[in-house]
Amino acid sequence: MEFGIFTIGDVTTDPTDGTAPSEHERIQATLTIAKHAEEAGLDVFATGQHHNPPFVAPANPPVLLAHIAAATERIHLSTATTLITTTDPVRIAEDYSYLQHLAGGRVSLMMGRGNTGPVYPWFGKDIRAGIPLAVENYNLLHRLWRERNLSWEGNFRTPLEGFTVTPWPLDDVPPFVWHGSIRSPEIAEQAAYYGDGFFHNNIFWPTSHTARMVNLYRQRYEYYGHGAARQAFVGLGGQVFMRKDSQAAVREFRPYFDNAPVYGHGPSLEDFAEQTPLTVGSPQQVIERYAGFREWAGDYQRQLFLLDHAGLPLKTVLEQIDILAEEVVPALRKEFDAARPADVPDAPTHEWLAARHRAGEDPVPGGAPGSRAHEDRLAAEAARSEQEAR
Amino acid sequence: MTASEAVMREAQQGARSGEPAEGPEIVVVSSGLSEDSATTRLAQRMLDAVLGLLAARGVRARSTHVRLRGLARALTDLTVSGVPAPEVEEAFAAVRRADAVITVAPVYKAAPVGIHTLFWQLIDDASLAGTPVLLGSTGGTPRHSLAAEAAMRPLIAYLKGIAAPTAVFAATDDWGAGAASGLRERIAAAAAELVALMGAVAGGAGAPESGSGASHEAGGLRFRADPGAQARAARLRDEFDPESVIPFAQLLGR
Repeated sequence: MEFGIFTIGDVTTDPTDGTAPSEHERIQATLTIAKHAEEAGLDVFATGQHHNPPFVAPANPPVLLAHIAAATERIHLSTATTLITTTDPVRIAEDYSYLQHLAGGRVSLMMGRGNTGPVYPWFGKDIRAGIPLAVENYNLLHRLWRERNLSWEGNFRTPLEGFTVTPWPLDDVPPFVWHGSIRSPEIAEQAAYYGDGFFHNNIFWPTSHTARMVNLYRQRYEYYGHGAARQAFVGLGGQVFMRKDSQAAVREFRPYFDNAPVYGHGPSLEDFAEQTPLTVGSPQQVIERYAGFREWAGDYQRQLFLLDHAGLPLKTVLEQIDILAEEVVPALRKEFDAARPADVPDAPTHEWLAARHRAGEDPVPGGAPGSRAHEDRLAAEAARSEQEAR
Repeated sequence: MTASEAVMREAQQGARSGEPAEGPEIVVVSSGLSEDSATTRLAQRMLDAVLGLLAARGVRARSTHVRLRGLARALTDLTVSGVPAPEVEEAFAAVRRADAVITVAPVYKAAPVGIHTLFWQLIDDASLAGTPVLLGSTGGTPRHSLAAEAAMRPLIAYLKGIAAPTAVFAATDDWGAGAASGLRERIAAAAAELVALMGAVAGGAGAPESGSGASHEAGGLRFRADPGAQARAARLRDEFDPESVIPFAQLLGR
């Protein structure tokens, strides 16, 4: 089980003193946060991809992640997300492959579509084709990382003739991919089809909804024969604010909640905390709430927290990282590890993926012989040829 | 406001005690803003008329009343934060499973009150498709009477609801004028249209539980016996059901 933090790099005014960091300050703060996360003992630092204010999350996450890779030893670096719709899959393949070499394999990707219409045309795309773009582009990316001298033709970019990604993925193993979606069944299905991970960023969603999407992914993962439903790779988001005394936590966080562009001027802090994973209180309250996630999500592999948001000062964010790493994560890790059956995989590392690859056990997209999906395909083909014979 | 206060299932009309709660469900969505508002009264009168006509045909219907006043806060929260409160989810679910909908709103400044519009703007597109709908509105002066035609009907049409031709408008005058106002007749006419529409989409005289996919031919055209079944299935489809998800190979175009 890996625990970490993810950032969207929002530049937000601190409502308690009216100050906002400059873009430069916010970018420097992001580096401090990432390094602090490693020092505190967290497993993952993940960054979003953004192309518009008020966000400074990078337009090309490998730029930021390569810098952090050089400044850290151990922490796993991930995106949250990589925009698979508006970024050329050839660039994704090469940039992240290069990053993987720089970071010694400490890299994974989380694929997302992006949800604002205006961004798409900046990169020559159309949001109405969001799902088809995600489907075709990822299919190409998956092949680029696995087939040398690839010849390919599709709807959304120029054809490729005998193209080989440079550099080739480290140890012949591409980075692990999570597919992120909050409400598109197609993306849960996509993750299951390839035997990749599924990440639900549930920070604005009630548990009941997240549970249904996770269940869809797990059932389809089993259908495609990559393993039992309970063995699939699930990741979840969350957001917390902690102080020793829970009332102090609420008092300190309320002005940030009430004024944040994403939360503020809507539901009360109390209603929002009841309906979403937002937990404001003592570390013990956070442990209890998040330990309960496996009751509806099953044994899962990745838990990321959003801590640096809503205009919280850097000092506060670093304190939150310390509380998370010192008091919350060890307790959650112990609980989750004890509960997880031996045959449910842990979060994939480069070494684990390389071993799986050497053993010839890479997932087969769409299902290997023996899977229900494969049987259904054979049956459909048989029915078709019988019909043609008539 | 708890969910059960905002979305109330009424006692089954015309049912003898101990009988199972079956039969069509009429869902009322009204935005009366005071406890005993003219809008709530009109909604109740329209519901009673519909239930009465159905009962006369031997159809025992159930009703659920969604009172938007109780959801006002949750609807604005959903607008600005995207987080659906459980009571809003419950109200949306009631609309999806409804066999017919009656929606009634007070008219402010020549348009239905904001929370009426908000509710129908926030519900998923497919939620009302193929559902017969009766429109009602109230206002302080008869000059508001066309708001239902100009503003409420297009909203329902956008959602692919099947609105009955007659919309009932009640001005303050109507409540005091007794039989001379014609309100009673307008309600009766509208209710009859709704029941006819229910019968049409259900393939029988107000008996929605035909259930079969049978069809018949007449005048060279083929009619499904249960034309509402497809729309109903689309409304109630669970897009996260692993058994009915679109296979990825299909998305890939293979």
